[in-house]
Amino acid sequence: MTSLAQRPLAPTQSRQFTRPILAAIGVAAVASVAFSIPLLWGALIGLALFAGLALADISRATIDAIVLASVGAAAAWWFDSVLDGRSAAIELLISLRAGLGWLVVGATVGAILVLRRPTVNPVAVPVTAVSAYLATALMSASGASVGVLADLEARQLREGILQVLGAPFHLVIGLSVVAVALAIVFGYLAQSAAVPGVVGSALFTLVAYNLVGFSVAEIVAETSRVGDLAREFWPPQWTWPKTIGSEPTNVIIEPMIETLQIAVIGATVGCLLAIPLAFFASRPTTPTEPTYVAARWILSVLRTIPDLFWAALFASAVGFGALAGALAMIMFSLVIMAKLFSETIDSIDAGPLEAARTSGARYTQVIQYGAFPQVLPTYVAYALYIFELNIRASVVIGVVGAGGIGRLLDEQRTFFQWDRVMAIVIVIFAAVIVIELFSIWVRRRLL
Amino acid sequence: MIRFTNASVVYPGGLKALSGVDLTIEDGEFVVIVGLSGAGKSTLLRSVNGLVPVTGSVTVNGAEVVGASKSEIRAIRTDIGMIFQTFNLVGRATVMANVLMGRLSMVPRWRSMLGLWPAEDRELALQALERVGIVEKAYVRASDLSGGQQQRVGIARALAQDPKIILADEPVASLDPVTSHMVMRDLQRINRELGITTIINLHFLDLARAYGKRLIGLRDGQVVYDGDIADVNDDDFREIYGRAITPDDLLEGAAT
Amino acid sequence: MNRPIAPTAPRVIRWVVTTAIVVPFVWAALGLDVSLDRLVEAPGAIWSRVASMFPPDWGDISEILGKVLESVNVAWVGTIIGATLSLPLGYLAATNISPRWVTGPVRGLLSAIRAFPELVLAIMFIPAFGLGPFAATLAIGLHSIGTLGKLTSEVLEGTDAGPVEAIASAGGTKLQQLRFGVSPQAMPNIIAYWLYRFEINIRASAVLGVIGAGGVGDLLIGRLRFREWEKAGAVLIITVAVVLIIDFASSAIRRRIITGHSGTGRVSKALSLLVRPRAT
Ligand SMILES: Nc1ncnc2c1ncn2[C@@H]1O[C@H](COP(=O)(O)OP(=O)(O)OP(=O)(O)O)[C@@H](O)[C@H]1O
Ligand SMILES: [Mg+2]
Repeated sequence: MTSLAQRPLAPTQSRQFTRPILAAIGVAAVASVAFSIPLLWGALIGLALFAGLALADISRATIDAIVLASVGAAAAWWFDSVLDGRSAAIELLISLRAGLGWLVVGATVGAILVLRRPTVNPVAVPVTAVSAYLATALMSASGASVGVLADLEARQLREGILQVLGAPFHLVIGLSVVAVALAIVFGYLAQSAAVPGVVGSALFTLVAYNLVGFSVAEIVAETSRVGDLAREFWPPQWTWPKTIGSEPTNVIIEPMIETLQIAVIGATVGCLLAIPLAFFASRPTTPTEPTYVAARWILSVLRTIPDLFWAALFASAVGFGALAGALAMIMFSLVIMAKLFSETIDSIDAGPLEAARTSGARYTQVIQYGAFPQVLPTYVAYALYIFELNIRASVVIGVVGAGGIGRLLDEQRTFFQWDRVMAIVIVIFAAVIVIELFSIWVRRRLL
Repeated sequence: MIRFTNASVVYPGGLKALSGVDLTIEDGEFVVIVGLSGAGKSTLLRSVNGLVPVTGSVTVNGAEVVGASKSEIRAIRTDIGMIFQTFNLVGRATVMANVLMGRLSMVPRWRSMLGLWPAEDRELALQALERVGIVEKAYVRASDLSGGQQQRVGIARALAQDPKIILADEPVASLDPVTSHMVMRDLQRINRELGITTIINLHFLDLARAYGKRLIGLRDGQVVYDGDIADVNDDDFREIYGRAITPDDLLEGAAT
Repeated sequence: MNRPIAPTAPRVIRWVVTTAIVVPFVWAALGLDVSLDRLVEAPGAIWSRVASMFPPDWGDISEILGKVLESVNVAWVGTIIGATLSLPLGYLAATNISPRWVTGPVRGLLSAIRAFPELVLAIMFIPAFGLGPFAATLAIGLHSIGTLGKLTSEVLEGTDAGPVEAIASAGGTKLQQLRFGVSPQAMPNIIAYWLYRFEINIRASAVLGVIGAGGVGDLLIGRLRFREWEKAGAVLIITVAVVLIIDFASSAIRRRIITGHSGTGRVSKALSLLVRPRAT
């Protein structure tokens, strides 16, 4: 009967690998903190890797432990000797070279996996090797970027990284090798990218958290003197002399209006220019395959450039002022609108297009009568949304000389006039809220 | 035993969906409820486990549903498995995870929060799946199953509760005729093998006739028929439906 | 038979809409005080500026990479802060989960946070935390709480109530309904939004550099100010390349998480190819 049906095996769960990974990381951590002698900490990292493999029932062979320990020691020795006595200028490349030893360590882990688990494809060896290497490269690169920024020598980096990462460099590197190599191994066995993904993110968080100098204690400390800070900002100063010696007047409103005007121009022109690009970058409506690919690439590349970079670029080309701001906002709107709109067009019903095509319509007619009516309501909604985004974005572009209230904001903060900054911020806040409410109201009316 | 005494349900907004129902359902019975859309079938079913605001008295094995506290209601619900027309599965979760939800009220809270299900509960879930014949799908995402298979997961989830009562609200309304019969047979078998009191809302009369024993007819929130399904005649149906039977009221008729 | 007269309403609407677009546009264009000759010269000026950046000067690629990495770090930590704090707030702001008297204030808080651009927040953090990546991280984290909190609550509100009812009818508590009925439906989309926010935050943190709050913006502005066009070109190209790579990776992961089928993504296909079928 039905109850005779074979029960399936529970799939290998990522969760069952947490313990081995944590155990291995623990061993590596203890080892790295306790010993800073290259050969020793390298060997201990090798043993930590072995501990992970053993706990996951992959290998219990003594020979594997010995091999891993020796390879680890060699890698550590190489790492330290390359880093010793270098200057900061070539830090990044140096740290990439220093990490090469970990390539071998990763390859060894992969080889053990392949040998002990015959079901695993030998390709695992290079994959593990490269991943372990990339992980350490990332860690060293992060360290290196600190070295560059703080103008440290490599030697100092190796010893003095303590203050920056909150832990010895050895520990960071060791941890990343162990965690990533094991994560890749277990990722194989569970056939899930989630294990390496989560481990990698956790490591990166650790590094990034330290590198940006994040500190909860400082936030708490600053919150406790929030009264003092508030006195800097409060009460807001609404008027001040436009030029030295003149009467104090309200100088906020005029640039705020300029900001609004920049936003209007940017949203209108940008949204219009986005229409052809969006139709080109959508499968159902693109005229030719190359056009499609080109439009997609152009969009992807343009999308990477932040609004303020456009503003700075245009300001340096056409001079400071509102023109640069308007151009920047046009690019900003164009990119977002084209992306959102092309996604909408992607999902339209191709039937009307085909009907128009078979009746002999030209390309523009197909678009205008077959596609556009389907997406018009969404387009209008997006246009309003873009206008809202434009207000927020155009507020700040003045900081790089592209006109509007941002210029004022930048001026006053450079002179530490926090009470004036406060007044400007309040005006910005009010403008953003009013525009948002207006936009919501219009959208509700229209749709 | 389930006993309704002058039970009424008034929905917020003032609609009286159930008025003064008196009913007794003995342990192990297999009861089918029929009635027009809006007659109050779902409401009657839901008043058993307190999902609707009911007045009067409804007792489940002696425990009063009306006016019960939150924890009392939870204790009552623990013994009642429910099966839904639209399955109510989490499509993204595995079949196993869905069935284990039936065990939620039985495992320690910290264990369920961490997803560390005790082995006995896993075993119960697998047995429930075996009973409905889809244990081989245990680790498949629920949304990857066919409608009939999904409803069997729904039944397995109810079974995993190890319930004394099963309530099924139009369990086959989203299924095709062949699958409908399979699911109904499953429910019938479970009722016979495990002696679980089963109350089912049905739309189609022939299904009710084929599988039911006792028939309850509802009209405008009142019980207008209650008796053995074999004794039902056309007049009784006219009483329940307010008109003669049409092919639309039959699964086979609607299918052709 | 009488032919119907074409209705006038659509034409009226078309006129109203056209006016609503043209009038503000003209107002803005006239108000901006941009002379015509500058407008005419603009394309040429932009072209020559872009041309002057090529070939880029790769002299200090190490420094640029370091700064880009700093921007990525700031964005990452900001996203983590935003994600962890917005999650509970999202639950509190979802009308199908929390009572009205909770959702109202929480929603208000979230939209108030969103009203401040990251740059403005960063400027306001300067007196407390000084110039540097820390202030930038806080600004980005805070702003992300606002945006992610809203998106999270929308995802939660879009979940199917069926599983929740099923759990309730099996005697599950409110907390269990959330954990087993709501979260499994919502989490993939929420995590996808986190990744998307990370993409946006990289741009935001690059920008914060221009006020000196760490990151690559600092470098770009400096190069432009000292008219080192070739060096500015290198900064731009590296930024674009790094952000592009992260965008592609992130959107691939997002797609994977949303569809949720293991074995459909390219990565897992590659992984399964690597494992030989078990010999029976
Ligand atoms: N949550 C609710 N709030 C208000 N009124 C409701 C609610 N649920 C049901 N009703 C009303 O109560 C009456 C009975 O509904 P019920 O769902 O019990 O009918 P039913 O017999 O199950 O119908 P169907 O066959 O369509 O499922 C209907 O008039 C319905 O509109
Ligand atoms: Mg119903």
